[in-house]
Amino acid sequence: MSTNRCKHTGLGRSKPFLTPARSMQVRTEIDRLLDQQIDDWYRTVPYADHFEGSVIDQDYYRRHLIETAWRIRILRVAESKALAEIAKRSPEAAQLWANYEMEEMLHDELFIKDLERAGVSRAQFLETEPYLSTKLLAGFFSYLLDHEGPLGVVAYSYLVEYANVRLEPKKLDAMRVTLGEYQISGQIAHSHTDVNDDHPGEVWRAIRHLITSDDDIAHLKRYLVEHQRILAMYFHEIYDDVVLARGRTREFIAN
Amino acid sequence: MPHITIASTSLCVELPFRSLLTSLEEVPDCDGLVPFGCRVGSCGACVVAIIKGGNHLYPPDDDELSFLDDLGYSPKTHRLACQSLVLGDVTIALPPAL
Repeated sequence: MSTNRCKHTGLGRSKPFLTPARSMQVRTEIDRLLDQQIDDWYRTVPYADHFEGSVIDQDYYRRHLIETAWRIRILRVAESKALAEIAKRSPEAAQLWANYEMEEMLHDELFIKDLERAGVSRAQFLETEPYLSTKLLAGFFSYLLDHEGPLGVVAYSYLVEYANVRLEPKKLDAMRVTLGEYQISGQIAHSHTDVNDDHPGEVWRAIRHLITSDDDIAHLKRYLVEHQRILAMYFHEIYDDVVLARGRTREFIAN
Repeated sequence: MPHITIASTSLCVELPFRSLLTSLEEVPDCDGLVPFGCRVGSCGACVVAIIKGGNHLYPPDDDELSFLDDLGYSPKTHRLACQSLVLGDVTIALPPAL
């Protein structure tokens, strides 16, 4: 029995559980799962394809930008805590995660600048409280880090990055027409990072080092489903708050 | 100290040798002129045109060269401000409205 009490140094394994070939195989499996989730998303979430259309609901657009900036601001705190947990398990994954976080850390500013272009000042942004679904997502991250480990937190980023790279170009092309390129230049810059720095690939490389068993692969699949459920809560919340509430107000005035 | 002249404005400011151009934000009147985003050279929000003195900026690394190429810019005429270390007098032009 060792008398050395020092543990959680992330130096217990010499090789990742997933070989490079198996990692590619699992990633393909996960990507197919996400493709299915995206199809479900379009079918079940209100306004899911709104920004791909020919008319933009300006109230919805502005509120969505506000929440996106808040989500980045709030989650970067939990994601920074994840770095410590990751480093205890895999310094290789921690290095990859730190680099990813470095690139994403200040992206809230890109959305805030687009907000200003849309007529919402920084002060108005700061006066708008984040939605409950965003707070719950941050709370879920906190629970995961305390009780299940960092894989679930990293899984969220894979979900978001995969969906961004697959869907953002189509969405931004449509918004160049509906809103104009200057109006969305922050979002275009955000997308540059995801695509040019291969963010899905960066996050997957971190995930590869965090998967230590077949059970973890099953856990990863469950995390992706759970994160999508929470993100869907947000889309329902904003739809209710902006679109349905506006309808209720008009009805009230008319009566 | 090196002088940074901002074309099409009357601004000419001093920055300490080897400052990043992100330091422009800390100079009165310059805050907000360059729309910095990620500040690590990966989003492209802070592209500026180099009018004069490009050789007074520390040369771009491979990542910046590759990204400028992706964005359709030449490193001889444009730089990512967040990646540009100032070594001497430079004249820049602000990013065009996209």
